[in-house]
Amino acid sequence: MNSHHRWLHEQLPQWERDGIVTAENARSLRQRHPLDDSTSGVGQIVMGALGALLIGAGLIAVIGYNWDDFSRPVRLLFAFLPLLAAQIASFRVLQRGDAAAAWVRETVALLQALATGACIAIVSQIYNLGGEWPDFLFWWMLLSLPLVWVLRSQAVAIFYLIAIATWSVSQIETGRAWHDSPLLYPLLLLGLLPWWPGWPPKTALSVSVRWVMTISAIFGLCSAAVFVCEQSDRFLSFQFETAMWLWTLTAAAFALFPLNQAAFEEPTRRKPQVVLGSLWLLGYGLAMTNHEIGRDILMGVSRSIKLPWCWGLLIVLILFVLHALRRRRWAVLSLSSIVILPLPSWLTMNAMNSVSQSMLSLPSWLATLHLAAIGLTLIVLDFSGRRGAPRFGALLLSVLIILRMADSHFSLLAKGVGFIVVGIAFLAFNLLMSRRRRPSTLPAA
Amino acid sequence: MKTLPIIIFGIAALAQWAAPLAQIWTHEQTLAKGTLIRLKCVAPDPYDPLRGRFLAVRPEQDQADVPAGMKVERGMHVFATLITRADGLATISQLSLTPPTSGDFIRLKTRYAYDNKATIEWPFERFYINEKLAPEADKWFAENIRTAQGIIAEVRVLNGRAVLADLSLGGKPFREILKERVK
Repeated sequence: MNSHHRWLHEQLPQWERDGIVTAENARSLRQRHPLDDSTSGVGQIVMGALGALLIGAGLIAVIGYNWDDFSRPVRLLFAFLPLLAAQIASFRVLQRGDAAAAWVRETVALLQALATGACIAIVSQIYNLGGEWPDFLFWWMLLSLPLVWVLRSQAVAIFYLIAIATWSVSQIETGRAWHDSPLLYPLLLLGLLPWWPGWPPKTALSVSVRWVMTISAIFGLCSAAVFVCEQSDRFLSFQFETAMWLWTLTAAAFALFPLNQAAFEEPTRRKPQVVLGSLWLLGYGLAMTNHEIGRDILMGVSRSIKLPWCWGLLIVLILFVLHALRRRRWAVLSLSSIVILPLPSWLTMNAMNSVSQSMLSLPSWLATLHLAAIGLTLIVLDFSGRRGAPRFGALLLSVLIILRMADSHFSLLAKGVGFIVVGIAFLAFNLLMSRRRRPSTLPAA
Repeated sequence: MKTLPIIIFGIAALAQWAAPLAQIWTHEQTLAKGTLIRLKCVAPDPYDPLRGRFLAVRPEQDQADVPAGMKVERGMHVFATLITRADGLATISQLSLTPPTSGDFIRLKTRYAYDNKATIEWPFERFYINEKLAPEADKWFAENIRTAQGIIAEVRVLNGRAVLADLSLGGKPFREILKERVK
């Protein structure tokens, strides 16, 4: 936000000279949006973090050389001295409290996290300890986590988020106990709670941390979904489809993740969970319009519904839906409802205890109608003077028509003509929207 | 200055020391007081991005008999009783779910069991080496791994814990051989 304020302060003198604002207005604006020189810029934080990273990486490389000529105690001293130095530096920063610059806080926290990793590495090297790198990563990230809480370090939080996702992906292997598998991911993610939202609630997360957190959660929770599928039955048929429905439930939970009023009013690009969750749901919906894929998804649903993980996701989703209904988040609610489209077929098939061709094709038809309704609504809303997204609506309809035609048994000639017609209609609509949006010229003074 | 962050920081700093120190303590105990056993090894491997160059040490024996009535599952921790053969090399005589009351034993993990035999995972697998000596070590390992006497892993064993102390060939320590070759 400080960069916006800085930009405003740079513009004000010129605006005053041009008569756009009066001196009084300019003073009011300066008071309303003051420059806070106590906070560090992004550049300073990045440079600090980079410095710490280089020192940490250097330490690890020096350790990797394996100093054969030194005795064990001397080599252990190499491990503990950097850790002690980093801990003393962190303690000094902690003592200074809010007076410490953000970039210094980030640097010492990252340095301490890296020194901890280097220390564990050198000890395991000296004693020829076994164990794979995920075990090493697990202990490293856990020992670094408190630094996120006390030093409020974004850099270490990002490291932790990447580490827990990497660890979860590496643990997808049948036969592991739950506490050594990706099922631990939600608990590991909750480890960040003392930092975010923190107590008492502090400032909102930065956009970069939100993106890393979302991507980490995608990898972590999707790994857990794959793990439960493999764990339930190694030779399970439609295993990919089963995991896919669990991923889609996760995507819907992402899109519907509860937001407070301030977050609700933020632009969508600052809400990566909504962007990525919605993109997955759209892709899933479009794929389901294909009859064969729709059938496979239905098979996946009937298998995943037996898994406790699926029921956990459904409960979370219902809670999120209730919250979204209270907040009137109609757009994400309509998109998220794509996830339940296979359920009518599944329920009917279960009730009748038989499989019919029409029931197998139903998800595909429902997905087509649902997406078409979303596309049309987005256009109609705009034309009725409310907030819509007409171009996106038209794009969705065009993609739907193209997909349905590709899936049909029409001749190549008919498909070609169809594509041309859709293309022309799309361009014409775009032209129409440009004319509608053209700003009216200012009346002459 | 707030007290809670300082307390949490203090605990974290102590944990950052305690984790490696606990490892050092148990491994030093094993190296100092443990029984020396010798195991014949197979196959090398080269590099760990965080801990540098190493030789992958895999004892020749990778299966052990499962006693009747003992149910072994994948990833299970079991105790392997070790006996020393006439040639001085150690071998696993039996597996059990509880630590044996006498003799040397190692706590290890099972991979899978089939036909009353369990595939085992030794608790050591890497021997870290100096970067300068690593290329020569690779050559030495390749040259000697298939010879009749083979490369021997010298392991110290105490209360089920095993620490890989050295590698040797014909009774001569690995590092000495390498230093002579590099000269």
